[in-house]
Amino acid sequence: MPALDNFFLIALPYLAVVICLVGSYYRIKTRPMTYSALSSQFLESKGLMWGSLPWHIGIITIIAAHFIAFLVPGLWQALLSNQTVLLFVEAAGLGLSLLCLFGLAALLLRRFTSEKVQSVTSQMDLVVLLVLLLQVALGAHIAVSLSWGALWSVGTTVPYLWSLLSFTPDLSMVQDLPLAVKAHIVLAWVLILLVPFSRLIHMFAVPLEYIGRPWQNVVWVSDRRKEAAPQAFVEGEARRYFVKGGLAAVFGLSLLSVGVFDKIFRFFFGPRLTAHQETELMTTRLSRLEATSSQRKLELERQENDYILVGSLAELNSERGKYFIDYTMMPALAFKTAEGLPLLISAKCTHLGCTVGADAVDGKILCPCHISYFSIDTGMPNADSPAKTPLPHLGWVLMDTRGNQLVSYSGKGAVKGTLSEAQRASARVYIAKAHQIG
Amino acid sequence: MDVRAQVSMVFHLDKCIGCHTCSIACKNVWTDRAGAEYMWWNNVETKPGTGFPTLWEDQNHYKGGWTWKAKGNGKGRLQLRSQNKFDSFIKLFYNPNQPGLEDYYEPWTYKYQDLFDAPEGDDQPTAIPISQITGEPMDINAGPNWDDDLSGSPLYAENDLNLDALSEEEREQLFEIERLSMMYLPRICNHCANPSCVASCPSGALYKRGEDGIVLIDQEICKGWRACVAACPYKKIYYNWKTGKSEKCILCYPKLETGQIPNCFHSCVGRIRYLGVLLYDADRVAEAMQVPDHALVESQRSVILNPFDQAVIEAAKASGISEEFLYAAQNSPVYKYVMDWKVALPLHIEYRTMPMLFYVPPLLPVMGKLENGIYEHKSEAFFSTLEKSRLPIKFLAKLFAAGNESQVEAAVRKLMAVRYYRRSVDMDDIDVVEISKVMREGKTTPKEADEIYALTAIPTIDQRFVLPPIQREEVIGGGHCSPEACKGCTGLGTPVAIERGP
Repeated sequence: MPALDNFFLIALPYLAVVICLVGSYYRIKTRPMTYSALSSQFLESKGLMWGSLPWHIGIITIIAAHFIAFLVPGLWQALLSNQTVLLFVEAAGLGLSLLCLFGLAALLLRRFTSEKVQSVTSQMDLVVLLVLLLQVALGAHIAVSLSWGALWSVGTTVPYLWSLLSFTPDLSMVQDLPLAVKAHIVLAWVLILLVPFSRLIHMFAVPLEYIGRPWQNVVWVSDRRKEAAPQAFVEGEARRYFVKGGLAAVFGLSLLSVGVFDKIFRFFFGPRLTAHQETELMTTRLSRLEATSSQRKLELERQENDYILVGSLAELNSERGKYFIDYTMMPALAFKTAEGLPLLISAKCTHLGCTVGADAVDGKILCPCHISYFSIDTGMPNADSPAKTPLPHLGWVLMDTRGNQLVSYSGKGAVKGTLSEAQRASARVYIAKAHQIG
Repeated sequence: MDVRAQVSMVFHLDKCIGCHTCSIACKNVWTDRAGAEYMWWNNVETKPGTGFPTLWEDQNHYKGGWTWKAKGNGKGRLQLRSQNKFDSFIKLFYNPNQPGLEDYYEPWTYKYQDLFDAPEGDDQPTAIPISQITGEPMDINAGPNWDDDLSGSPLYAENDLNLDALSEEEREQLFEIERLSMMYLPRICNHCANPSCVASCPSGALYKRGEDGIVLIDQEICKGWRACVAACPYKKIYYNWKTGKSEKCILCYPKLETGQIPNCFHSCVGRIRYLGVLLYDADRVAEAMQVPDHALVESQRSVILNPFDQAVIEAAKASGISEEFLYAAQNSPVYKYVMDWKVALPLHIEYRTMPMLFYVPPLLPVMGKLENGIYEHKSEAFFSTLEKSRLPIKFLAKLFAAGNESQVEAAVRKLMAVRYYRRSVDMDDIDVVEISKVMREGKTTPKEADEIYALTAIPTIDQRFVLPPIQREEVIGGGHCSPEACKGCTGLGTPVAIERGP
């Protein structure tokens, strides 16, 4: 059902992420009193220990593994190409999900058995707990029934997530997955959607800045201190910025190094090719090299000729230009003027280099990229078009069939020579090396 | 030298009658709300006793405050006993050092409506107690001052951790029926100079105000991780189970900012409370807390600066302390008790948070003697000797001097000398030789004794509370824009709805 798939796997993710980010920001900024971990350890401690500790340790590790697979699929796949590692990861995943289930069960139990905890339990708390329970149970079910998910997800859900992230949604990798996997994905989006409306928002409150901050925190209410000791104040602020900047730099560098490490790791420990694959690869490379070299050869040959044929004068007209490639390997157009002489103009738009269209309407050709009209007579663009400089005219030479030069034009100045009616029929248009190069 | 001003306090325990008026004055204004019913920002404990929350002094269990171990070169490093930078992360999920509701008490009210709605019957209708958390009927097993006046009780008083220093014989004497004695210990937040709660806060919501040293929690930043609850060795931070944020004594800063006296101070029946400014050197605080236990009281005094010293005045001005604050510091009753007379001591300074609330230890209680079947008060019985004191000096030293008996002894001897001296002035019934001997032992002079007497027994309200002008108007007006323009009709603050998250 493509419509359902489109909604749950494309529309819902974008909706969920946008609502999660915007909603959380709005709640944190406008209703800060509701932004709290909402701990109930004070009211009930023992059950919380059996619930919260296994749950948080389990789920944080599992989510981290999901994220690694998503962020550095290459590295992840390379790691798992070792069978022992794969076995370990799968077993650990299943074990952790069971730990999570145990924790969730304990948390649910205390929500139902402790009167004190009930007095601070909202309906949303129960919804969140049940959705989480379902989600983790699905995950565990997938781990059991569709084993090696750590590996197959790299080729299915990871490209799907990246396609979402790059705004080119592509369901081809996930639409044929079993219903359990699809449900697991959809529930994940639902959980993200719930963040700003539930206690899940506490995940944004992880106090990482605590690691780097000084022990004591002094706040000056008035400006008196700043005025009395500006130097000390500035130094204190500078220190704070330094620590913050340092933390940001370390974070950025570590992200960068993960990327670099990913490549290095794959180079040394990545999957090895079989002899057959290697041969195939080399053949492909060889054919690509051959294509490149023949192309290059053609170019060189072209440039060795003193003249390159554009076409016969007879086939040119003033309505529709004939494309050709000039000595610099750039596109150009050939028209015929009212006097029956050729008119050669560059077809490379002077704005951003698109190829200009061949149809001359009212003596003007159009660059379709950003709508610039150029007059073929003068090369000038329209007054309000994005291109500001004119298209240059190219020089040409008219020769008869025996190769005798009849008329020539260097691109500037006057046309040299004349043309008789008889010659006109058989004349051919060339561009000359002398005009364009050297 | 980084001079800071601190609004500090002295509680004169000899004058405390244990009436809990301070607690009620505080409760009625600040903690009479859902989620805060069990909080007593101000509470009064009977000592020996287990306190509130039960056995709060047991840092092996609660792991509050700082630890310090001397290293080879003499200097170590202050460390939070728990809640260090990394173990606090795993404790976000479950913190084994947290006090639970059972360590305080379950707040309750009575079902008064039953008195009106009960059907006609043979019995008087009763209002049964119901929990303020669940609303269900409950049995009352504990309360905020459950061990009030229960000195001698094997359930409470005998478990007081400060009695550990006493020998078996001394303990027996303390709880002997005819000698039984006790004292009251009113407690509010100490507004420490080296607060472990501030240091432990993962979110950075706790802060110490630079101008007056009041320690506060920003309710909008607090995420309810409760690290401060565990880290405060005095257990003076409370978790609001309803809002999911922590709260603490605010030293009635809205009152202080408008030139009024904090509630618990103002309402004190025994007039035991003094409030004034101390200047201290903020650069030396951490260093001063890194000395062996017995030297801590002296070390704290070395950080407190003399507001009459010209160098200190210069440095204070350079640190942004206003003339008005300096004036308040020079007239501070706290400075007199703590620094001039050295009779006020900090509570449990071995937690190394450098508390800025000081206690004048209680004198030996007056004791009636049973002779020939009647109680008789003789003049020598008014002043039993220190050695025969009913509340052992060791016990007081555990409370107020990290076990250093000489500090408590010096304070008590001086207070006794004042008493002898004043009795001789008023009644003239003590031998002059004995007076001068006691005065020598107390290291005091008639002039000083008169001053101590005047500030202790007959002070005016302006002598007890020398409030610094906190100059809030300067902040509001302060160059940026006028309150009318900035805040409009909302006045001087922005109201934020107190609500629990979904």
